[in-house]
Formats: sequence, structure tokens, C-alpha cells
Amino acid sequence: MKKGLKLTDILVTIIIALLFGIIYKLWGPLYGVVSTFGLQIEQLIYGMWFIAAIVAYLIIRKPGVALLAEVAAAQGEFIFGGEWGVVTLVFGLGQGLAAELIFAAFRYKRSDMFIACLAGVASAFASIGIDYYYGYVADLAIWNLLIMFGARVIGAILISGIFAYLIVQALEKTGVTNLVRPASSEDYKALN
Amino acid sequence: MQMDFSYKVTWLHKINPSLKFIIIIILFIHLLMIHNINFIINYMLGMTILYLFFTGHPWKRLLIISIPFILIFLTSSTSMIFFGKGEITWIKWGLVHITEESFFRGLHLGFRGIIFATLGIIFALTTRPVYLFYSLMQQLKLKPKYAYSFMAAVRLIPIMIEETQTLHYALKVRGVQNHKGFVGFYKKLKSYSIPMLSQSIRKAYRIAIAMEAKRFSDTVNRTYYYQLGFSKFDMIFMFYFVIMILVSYYAAINHPYFSILDVRDNG
Repeated sequence: MKKGLKLTDILVTIIIALLFGIIYKLWGPLYGVVSTFGLQIEQLIYGMWFIAAIVAYLIIRKPGVALLAEVAAAQGEFIFGGEWGVVTLVFGLGQGLAAELIFAAFRYKRSDMFIACLAGVASAFASIGIDYYYGYVADLAIWNLLIMFGARVIGAILISGIFAYLIVQALEKTGVTNLVRPASSEDYKALN
Repeated sequence: MQMDFSYKVTWLHKINPSLKFIIIIILFIHLLMIHNINFIINYMLGMTILYLFFTGHPWKRLLIISIPFILIFLTSSTSMIFFGKGEITWIKWGLVHITEESFFRGLHLGFRGIIFATLGIIFALTTRPVYLFYSLMQQLKLKPKYAYSFMAAVRLIPIMIEETQTLHYALKVRGVQNHKGFVGFYKKLKSYSIPMLSQSIRKAYRIAIAMEAKRFSDTVNRTYYYQLGFSKFDMIFMFYFVIMILVSYYAAINHPYFSILDVRDNG
């Protein structure tokens, strides 16, 4: 077998990513509206921006898919004229890498809800790291900073962890995931 | 729904897309190193000139596109203005604590947000995705399988949007109730994402098989339908930014609007 992603994997990943790219683009104005309430509650919905990497990985389960999906989704948001412009790409790269590292740490063997949540949290930390340079967040009052981090991590667990996992579970019932997933040991057992 | 999206082709459209992309990334890094609010304001004016006069799109459309800029300004600046650190208190009201330092730091973030947005919109309005990916393949050696996947996916977007519309009507006709809160959000997410994802995956799979059946391969020495190179417009683009940055800097040093030169918290 050849190493790396095949054309099918890449195409499926990018199409999933662009689908989420549209959602990411629509998420911008929503985030803006919510943030006018103040007190960082908009951070609760921030987790949506981590979802592409995790959903794509849970569907295809191959190395590199998470990173590609998140970067492609960010690129999609960028070429549709997303509000944050090129910043999106930097965040996409960071978040995708963080999620990819989590999946790699478990040797791409695990794809349960726990690992999805963990990848979501890792993406949240990556985004906070970038915000440190980009948004001067260290200069916020400390209680406000803690709310921001807490809300972002909770949102990440809920949306990009639990929701992403449940969506892929529901998607498995449609049978479409069998098209793109590598054969597992259970498939081989079924042959005997 | 048919939308008129015609525009005049200006010099901004003729710049090599890869070069444009790289310049925007360099500007991004440069912007992160600017902490002087006067410089940022001048920089923003320079970008606005490019946005308003050289994208070749009609005024009305440019105005509509710039409405979200106000939101960006608010999202980037408000929490810093209200909750940022600082010494010189202006207003203290419950949790809200506006200081002079936090106010200017918030404004700085807001202006920076607008610059990034303008740059991004300028790129989006003046670059055709197809040219961008051809250029990425030719100038930056992006692998064809990624570039062509992307182009195929971009072509599917109108179909996806149409499908979402159909789905929306179908759910409406069947009287699906909307719930509130996170449960409602999950139900809504699920009812849209499952059909959309499954359809898209099937489509992507079929396209990939069709492409391979037509002998699509990853060879390096392939020929391209569009050949993209460099022109004098690339030089004009680079010079515009060099001159704009120098003038903004000069003006910021010699004719500042505010006396604050570094918005970061020094305490």
C-alpha cells in the first residue's frame, strides 16, 4: 500500500472541510452578535471553529486528515471573505496541528468520544496560545481571562468533542462512512 | 436565485495570486509587531483606499460588505475596553472598569481587526479561487491532488447551498419544531449536518473515482490550462505597501493623533 492520503481521502476531507468552512463563515457574525452581551459568553460557541478537524478525522481515521481539514476549512472561510481575513489561516493551522497531535499520540487507533473531547481541548489551547500574541489577552483583568479560557474549553468539549462525536455516530448509520474508512480488524474477522 | 456579481477587472485582479497571498501573510506578521495606535490608524487608512477605489466592485456592494466590519470592531475591542488592565480609571461600574490604557488598547485591537478584515476582503474580491490554486501549484509547488480537490470542492459549493435551502424547506413543511438552548442547537446541527455530510461524502467519493478513471495522477511535469506568471502589477502592489507603510510610519511619528506610543500593559 502506498503511504499518505489517496485522492479519495483528500477530496472527501476537503469537501467536508469546505462544508464546515461555510458554517465557520456564518459563525463569524453570530459570534459578533453574541459577544456584544459582554462577559465573554461568546466563548461558549467558539468551539464550533474546531469541529472540522475532529469530524473529518472521526470519519476517515487516517493520519494528516485532521490538519488538512482544519486548514482547508480555514482557507474556505478565508476565500469566502471571512471577517478575520488571514488570521483565520493562522488559527486554522494551529488548531489543526493541536488536534492532529492528540490523534497521533494515540497512534490513530482511538476514535471515541474521549479522544474527540481531548482534541477539542487541545485546539482550544492552541487558539488561546495564538490569542496571547494576537489579542493581547494577557492584558485582560485576571478574572475575565479565566472566564474566557474556561468558557472556551467548555465550548470546545461540548461542540467539537461531544457534538462532533454524536454527529459522526449518526452518520455511521447512513452507511456512508464505510466508503472512506480503512478496513478495520473487525472487517477482516467478518470475512472468516 | 440569480445574483449579479459582475465587477471591473482592475490591476489588483492581475497580481499573481501566490504573491498576493504571501504579501498578505507578511503584512499580517508585520501588523502583529505594531503596538503604536497612531501607526495602526494610518495603516488602516492606507488599506481603506485600496478597498474603496481599486477592487473594481460597485460602491453599493462594497458598502454592504463592510457592514460586518463594525461587528469585528466591536468583538475585537469591547472586552479589552471594559475589562482590560490599566492605571488611569475613567469609569468603574460593577465589573466594568474602563481605564485610559485599556480603552486605547481596545481601540488598537479594533483597528487591527478591521485591517485584517479589509486585507482578507480585498483578497477575496480580487482573486478567483481557480487562479489561486493554479498559481499555488505553479509557483509554490502545491501538490496537484490537493489543488484539484480544492477546486472540485469549490465547484460543489453552489450545489451545497441549494441543498441546504431544500433541506430548510423540507424541515419547515414537515413542521419540525425548534427547541431552545444547547439541546435545540444540537438538534438543529444534526438535522442539517447529517444529510449534508452524507450527500457530500458520496459526491466526493464519486468525483474521486471519476478523476482516477480519467487517469488523474500526481505527476510533477503536468501541463496546465492556465499559465500564471508575474507582471508589472506585482511590482506596483509591493511598492504600494512599501510606500504606504513608510508614509504611515512617518506621519505617526511626526503628527500623532494620541500621545500613547505603546498600547501594551507595562505595569
